[in-house]
Amino acid sequence: MTSLEKQVLQVLKENARQSDETIAEMLNTTPQKVKSLIKKLEKNNTIIQYTTVINERKLAQDFGEVRALIEIRVKPEKRHGFEAIARRIAKHSNVIEHYLTSGNYDFLIVVTGESMMDISSFVSDRLASIENIVSTSTHFIMKKYKENGVLVQSEENKDRLVITP
Amino acid sequence: MKYEFSKAVENLAPSGIRAFFDLVMNSDGDVISLGVGEPDFATPWNIREEAIYALERGMTSYTSNMGLSELRRHISEYLKKIFKYSYDRHTEILITNGVSEGVDIVFRSLLNPGDEVILPEPVYVCYRPLIELCGAKVVSIDTSLSDFIPDPKAIANAITKKTKAIVLCSPSNPTGAVIPQSVLNQIADLSKKHGFWVLSDEIYAELTYEDNYPKIANLPGMKDHTIVLNGFSKAFAMTGFRLGYICAPKALIERANKIHQYAALCAPILSQVAGVEALKGGRTELDVMKRSYLARRNWFVKQLNKIGLPTVLPSGAFYCFPSIKETGLSSEEFALQLFKSNSVAVVPGSVFGAGGEGFVRCCYASSMDDLKEAVVRIEDFLKKRK
Repeated sequence: MTSLEKQVLQVLKENARQSDETIAEMLNTTPQKVKSLIKKLEKNNTIIQYTTVINERKLAQDFGEVRALIEIRVKPEKRHGFEAIARRIAKHSNVIEHYLTSGNYDFLIVVTGESMMDISSFVSDRLASIENIVSTSTHFIMKKYKENGVLVQSEENKDRLVITP
Repeated sequence: MKYEFSKAVENLAPSGIRAFFDLVMNSDGDVISLGVGEPDFATPWNIREEAIYALERGMTSYTSNMGLSELRRHISEYLKKIFKYSYDRHTEILITNGVSEGVDIVFRSLLNPGDEVILPEPVYVCYRPLIELCGAKVVSIDTSLSDFIPDPKAIANAITKKTKAIVLCSPSNPTGAVIPQSVLNQIADLSKKHGFWVLSDEIYAELTYEDNYPKIANLPGMKDHTIVLNGFSKAFAMTGFRLGYICAPKALIERANKIHQYAALCAPILSQVAGVEALKGGRTELDVMKRSYLARRNWFVKQLNKIGLPTVLPSGAFYCFPSIKETGLSSEEFALQLFKSNSVAVVPGSVFGAGGEGFVRCCYASSMDDLKEAVVRIEDFLKKRK
């Protein structure tokens, strides 16, 4: 990866809606170069998706959303290891994150649901019944402080003097 | 009975910034300020946490006048590593309450009434009044005639038998200009030939966007009459911590400390502890902040030029100095009218001394959203005037 590609990624990480023209001016290059560079990064799956970090608490007021962290212990398949089981779990639309980890459990997933009941049903009806899943441990998320490097409640640094020499 | 005040203070001209500052501060409404003079980042958390932890541990006492030994050790190592300066931590480094205090006590250590100090302008507002408070005279060099870089010929012409010192601020507030090595070499030669001090304010040195920061302090034969001022405010976003340092020959440090020990006693202990952490673990965040300033500089200066305000691309700090001469307005008129009609605050260049008239200072240490909105509003202001 070139240094310019890394810099473009940094800009997009902070604001994925920054225009090619603005990015080009920030990084002292041309909009055409930025456009083709982004296309390349999309094509080779370095940029997987553009998304938005949302404060779910605000959504929850009207639309009710609950999240849970679930640790899963798995009996790996002969020759296939964890891969096939991982794919089966990850494909569920309410699994929004999925990791293979070291430690007492094998998988860590983050799941959304409309309510705690909803998530509990998912665990009992969908997860626990998958062959090779040995045990699960569910932790409901009470509050999000930070996601993707972004503080949900950003620090107020608006107290700079308006004019200073 | 009439109770008098100091004549020296009475004779000081009021700050050019004050009137405009009061106007902006007392306004309601949605003002976008490009008139700030500090980073838009909060101090990196690891630095703040160190100060908080020190407070929790009960570190609330005085330090030695010179400053915490550990801090001076780290500064000495930092200066060696980053700038290739050699300053002994025991005798050649003094910790001050910001570079502001450093400037004041250095002038008071050097100047006698009648001495002359060469001051390339436009420049940061504090030097002139502090020089004049010592009863010394400012000999101004208008650098707007030479792309805001001090012209060695002009300096040579300004030297008299009374010249005691020259003040250099590089990268510059308000212009962002960085004095090239070739010019510093010539100034160094003049200082050796005519025997005057060089006061080098390097507070923005880490925010230089070129590969190498041009230096005067480590040129051959310069250490014995060069004073380097630096601090933590801009590079580490620690403006409120009030933490700076003077690096100079032992003889100067001793004299500056004579004043410092009575007038200030020491810099705040919490700030000094935070300063240690800044030097130990603040580099990553510094690089992040610097990259952010650079990207914003690139974009913002381009926009100013596009909308019709000729602006030289600055090589350092986080200011640019667009020319407003084509509007036919004075700096102050421009700033006032822009503020009243479009709620954007900039600082009139005239407050920074000779050569600042016809320019305004814009700080780009603000979010891209604010900068974008500011450009839209300034462009609208310029269109309305046509």
